[in-house]
Amino acid sequence: MPRTARAPWRWMSFLLLALTVVAVPARADTPLQDVLQTVQAEVASPARGTIPDVLRALLDADAPGTLEFLRAFADREVVERPEDGLFFIAQDGPDRSLILIDVDSGAEIATVTTRDVNQIRPNAGVRREIAAALVQFELSAPDPARRIAAMDAIARSPDPEQMPILAASIPDEPDAAIRARKERLLALLTARFETDSATRVAAIEALTGDVSTEARRVLNQLLQTEAGHAQFVPEGVNIARIRVVGEDLDLLRAHARLAEDGLVPPRPGRNAIRDALRAHVVDGHVGGIPVHRLTDEATRREAYRALQEDGLVPPLPTEAEMRAAVAQFTFYDRYLEDDPAVTTAARAALDSTRTRVGLFQALNLSLEALSLASIFFLGAIGLAITFGVMRVINMAHGEFIMMGAYTGVVVQMFIPSHTVSIAVALPLAFAVTFAAGVAMERLVIRHLYTRPLETLLATFGISIALQQLAKNIFGPQARPLTSPDWLAGAVRLNDIVSISTIRVAIFFLALMFLILLIYILNRTRLGLEVRAVTQNPGMAASMGINPDRINMLTFGLGSGIAGTAGVAIGLFAQVTSEMGANYIVQSFMTVVVGGVGSVFGTLAGAGLIGFLQKGIEWFNPANTLAAQTYMVLFIILFIQFRPRGIVALKGRAAGD
Amino acid sequence: MTALLEVSDVSVTFDGFRAINGLSLAINEPELRAVIGPNGAGKTTFMDIVTGKTRPDTGRVVWGETATSLLSMSEAQIARAGIGRKFQKPTVFEDQTVRENLRLALKARRGVFSVLSWRATAEDARRIDELAQEIGLTDRLSHRAGDLSHGQKQWLEIGMLLAQDPRLLLVDEPAAGMTPAEREHTTDILKTAARTRAVVVIEHDMEFVRRLDCRVTVLHEGRVLAEGSLDHVTRDQRVIDVYLGR
Amino acid sequence: MADIARPVTLPGAARPAPPRRSFLREHPSVLWFMLILGIFTAGVTLLSEAFGIGLVSTSLVKILGMTLCLCLLAVAMDVVWGYCGILSLGHFAFFGLGGYAIGMWLMYARTEILVRQSLEAGTIPPTEREVSEAVASQIFSVVGSNELPLIWSFAHSLTFQLAMVVLIPGLLALVFGWLAFRSRVTGVYLSILTQAMTLALSLYLFQNDSGLRGNNGLSGLQNIPGFLDVPQSVISMWFFWASALALGLGYMLFAWIVSGKFGSVVRAIRDNEPRVRFLGYNVEGYKLFVFTLTAIIAGLAGALYYPQAGIINPAEIAPIASIYLAVWVAIGGRGRLYGAVIGAALVSLLSSWLTGGGAPNIDLGFYRIVWTDWWQVLLGFGFVLVTLFFPKGIGGLFDRLVRKQE
Repeated sequence: MPRTARAPWRWMSFLLLALTVVAVPARADTPLQDVLQTVQAEVASPARGTIPDVLRALLDADAPGTLEFLRAFADREVVERPEDGLFFIAQDGPDRSLILIDVDSGAEIATVTTRDVNQIRPNAGVRREIAAALVQFELSAPDPARRIAAMDAIARSPDPEQMPILAASIPDEPDAAIRARKERLLALLTARFETDSATRVAAIEALTGDVSTEARRVLNQLLQTEAGHAQFVPEGVNIARIRVVGEDLDLLRAHARLAEDGLVPPRPGRNAIRDALRAHVVDGHVGGIPVHRLTDEATRREAYRALQEDGLVPPLPTEAEMRAAVAQFTFYDRYLEDDPAVTTAARAALDSTRTRVGLFQALNLSLEALSLASIFFLGAIGLAITFGVMRVINMAHGEFIMMGAYTGVVVQMFIPSHTVSIAVALPLAFAVTFAAGVAMERLVIRHLYTRPLETLLATFGISIALQQLAKNIFGPQARPLTSPDWLAGAVRLNDIVSISTIRVAIFFLALMFLILLIYILNRTRLGLEVRAVTQNPGMAASMGINPDRINMLTFGLGSGIAGTAGVAIGLFAQVTSEMGANYIVQSFMTVVVGGVGSVFGTLAGAGLIGFLQKGIEWFNPANTLAAQTYMVLFIILFIQFRPRGIVALKGRAAGD
Repeated sequence: MTALLEVSDVSVTFDGFRAINGLSLAINEPELRAVIGPNGAGKTTFMDIVTGKTRPDTGRVVWGETATSLLSMSEAQIARAGIGRKFQKPTVFEDQTVRENLRLALKARRGVFSVLSWRATAEDARRIDELAQEIGLTDRLSHRAGDLSHGQKQWLEIGMLLAQDPRLLLVDEPAAGMTPAEREHTTDILKTAARTRAVVVIEHDMEFVRRLDCRVTVLHEGRVLAEGSLDHVTRDQRVIDVYLGR
Repeated sequence: MADIARPVTLPGAARPAPPRRSFLREHPSVLWFMLILGIFTAGVTLLSEAFGIGLVSTSLVKILGMTLCLCLLAVAMDVVWGYCGILSLGHFAFFGLGGYAIGMWLMYARTEILVRQSLEAGTIPPTEREVSEAVASQIFSVVGSNELPLIWSFAHSLTFQLAMVVLIPGLLALVFGWLAFRSRVTGVYLSILTQAMTLALSLYLFQNDSGLRGNNGLSGLQNIPGFLDVPQSVISMWFFWASALALGLGYMLFAWIVSGKFGSVVRAIRDNEPRVRFLGYNVEGYKLFVFTLTAIIAGLAGALYYPQAGIINPAEIAPIASIYLAVWVAIGGRGRLYGAVIGAALVSLLSSWLTGGGAPNIDLGFYRIVWTDWWQVLLGFGFVLVTLFFPKGIGGLFDRLVRKQE
């Protein structure tokens, strides 16, 4: 049992490390050495029976340095000076010497040899006592953070010894949350280490429905299996599953397993056969077969069998022989845990927890999808507006996102406070990209209204020029856009459901833009005119609406939103000159899937794509690239059935 | 005698607006028919349905002796079945010459590989010269269609229609924007064509319709309001109401 | 000079009286093009290291050969966009697929030769399985695998992979085009859809388990199995000639296709698709034919290009490459085959000259213009100006010259 025996020392040293960092407040005045001298004999030759008294004395006196001393004590680093019976902490010095350290001041007192002092060597039982005392001490510490840290340490490397200590600390626990945590931790320890089967089963049943990683890890540990085989399944082995050779166990694997245990002679593999043949080449022949013919497996086996008959090589069993050998054994998976009641209960608990875990995972995935959808929405809505109103594809839209993000970076160079700088950057990015959009509309797009495909190309030209300009100005490396501290954390429901605060903020930003746009489009004069131009530009012009002005403002608005979105995206993604290009195709997809010229269409498109991408990722979580590939394929197929998107304008306005 | 084209009880709705509402109409071969009606009566939508551009919600559209339904056919199939259409706005291929325009329309196999292996024949050249003669564009055969006058484009389009050699011609406002002399010429072309095939002319201009001297169908709110000679329908009180306002 | 500038599709194409004149006679610009291409090829040969006085280095021969392939690609792009009106943002992907198809053979066959050499040094000759396993672990160790993916099953066969050069781009274009054209997706929508296809493809290839070595791509393609001891200076000339021949034949093929009645139908589709439908033409069929044929030619061009480039990876076929292709054609002049050639040659050569550090930087005193930094800015804004003021591109300038002379 060496593994479990070492475990407490590992966590204990961690605990003590944590303690030495936490400033120990000044307590009683009695120096530690004096306290130690009161129990001199018991410390000098520690024994299981007397050590509790020593510990009580030390902990009651609570002298500074007690914890360090106890750690050294447990690590067998304490020595007694025979002349005066004083205790020191000893560290290894040069040439097998020892450096003595004063237990109170921590100062180096002297350098001695091992013969000058008595090294105190507490046995394992004593060391466990010391460790338990320390845990108890920490679990009842007045600072809640220390109590939580102690529990974290226990959870990280659990040990049966901790159970009574933990149980004892529960009744006095004042904090309800920590108390609940202690109770759960106790249940975890009980499930794992308790000796009484019924108590364990009860503890496991109490864990049913607990979705925390800790609880599921304990249950999974209880259900760990190892493969085994025997001629007759021995009594008392907790079998998880019997494997049938040929059905759920490969014949070669089964044979190899027997060979590993020396139950059958190993079957020479392809390489072994080749090496054996190589070793027995005689006059260009092996086993009577010329070497140049040995270019396929069957001939090689034939040659090998010939060698085998001459007794030159170990035998190559035929399939029938292997079957016969394997048939004498039963192959099974056994639980490492021997108690079937426990494994049955753990299996039941895990199965019923799985449903809850699944639901929470679905919830978490939905939240992630929602967050992705809001990012897509932010990226695409500006594009949707310009495309809807002006039938213009703006390939430089992504570069407006990038421009917005760099505006944020520049603002942060001048305003050190992150909160203030973001508050300034959001409207400023809008203004900058609004101006850029208006300039682009005036200078380029206005002249290309009758040639939509060429707008696509011209804006692409602008896009590559802007990208390179950004690279020339800001350099090729990613620039940081740091979010304020209050956006740095995550909102957590439990171990499964959590979402970073920044994404929540982006969701609300998207929501804000949605409401703002709906308001502008439906409640303002500008919105009325925009909708008129969207539905029938000719008619709108004849009714006194100046389409030039509307186009300009729309383009500015779309670009401005892109800029603001850029600040938001820059907060969680890297700000580089290529960042826009990463979003542009997704944004196009969103617009195309959603349907051109409709805020709700874009919303639906963003929702569909966001949820779809996360949904595909769920089936194949390791591979985001594959998810994106399948998503694009889906979109291509989707367009087959709804060429005008989810929310399609109908009738003549649809632009036949 | 069965009709060449029979439209029965066809309805179509755009966004809640009933553009065609229980329309029934039959065209014989040969026949010259004028379809008139106020704006929004459904004249152009009627053509869209026959040529396959718009699918009706209900009703039947059957064609020819075999009474094939046109509703399951694509635009191109309908055109190949023998229905030619001239749009309201002249739509010729402005980047190509008059000859190329006519050659595109000339009755021939339309498949990709037939067209790829196409070679100019004397017969084709003769047909194109003949058509050019008919529409008065002989000396402009090698000019870009985009350089033609508005009236000439209209004629070119009619010429392309004739080149298809269809059994039914649907002609949408052929005389719009033409000088009186050009109108006269147009009337002649249409009347000549109607000797051997069915021609349906949609027109606003009563004077032009009168000159066509044919049976007239009046559409209103997506259905047939009256049918008969021009004199007959113009005496109909309902038609007068519709045109002069109630 | 007047002849070369005349677009191949001018009215002369359709003389009604058919005294059978040869195709080249009727299209002198094609003849001129062939002549210039021939002189250029001969010139490069005479100046090359392998067969001439050595003025043109092997690396330059490779760049020129690659440029010829890009010109062929641009001609295909011009046919699908300039003549048929489909702004495809997927043709560079077809080009890349052709490169991958041939690259698989090049890489497999060369690795197989090396593997056999090392295995046959042993006393016993290797089995086929040992060879294929050794090849697989050589090729795929970079993506942490040592198994040969299923799509490499026939990579040892040159015939099979050559068929793939044609079939993969062709079938992809056929299926994609059928889906897209059938649902009447046109214009900007179609462009976005083709871009989506390209994106999906490059994302797929970026995956390590795509079976094509993820972002490592295929490399060492300049070594031609069977000719491993032939110096690169000679091989580069072979590929240069092959590229010139492919460009010449491709140009002829497309010139023949876009002249005559087929070209007339296709241009009519570009200008007014519904009208062509009402004339009884199956528009979708024509578009599909053009889309697929140009995709196949693009694949062939790619299969010639990448052995000269030596390496292919998924970044090559990212959507932006296809947009650049459109830019070349637009700068050269759409609707003229020679315009596409001029655009592709000019922009790609200029680009590799300026970004390759060949061009001298300009010191303005207060600022130093480094071409590698500013070329893209120049290209971007220059392209905007071309789109705004010279929509017909460089080919349009030829037209003006011709008109002035007349």
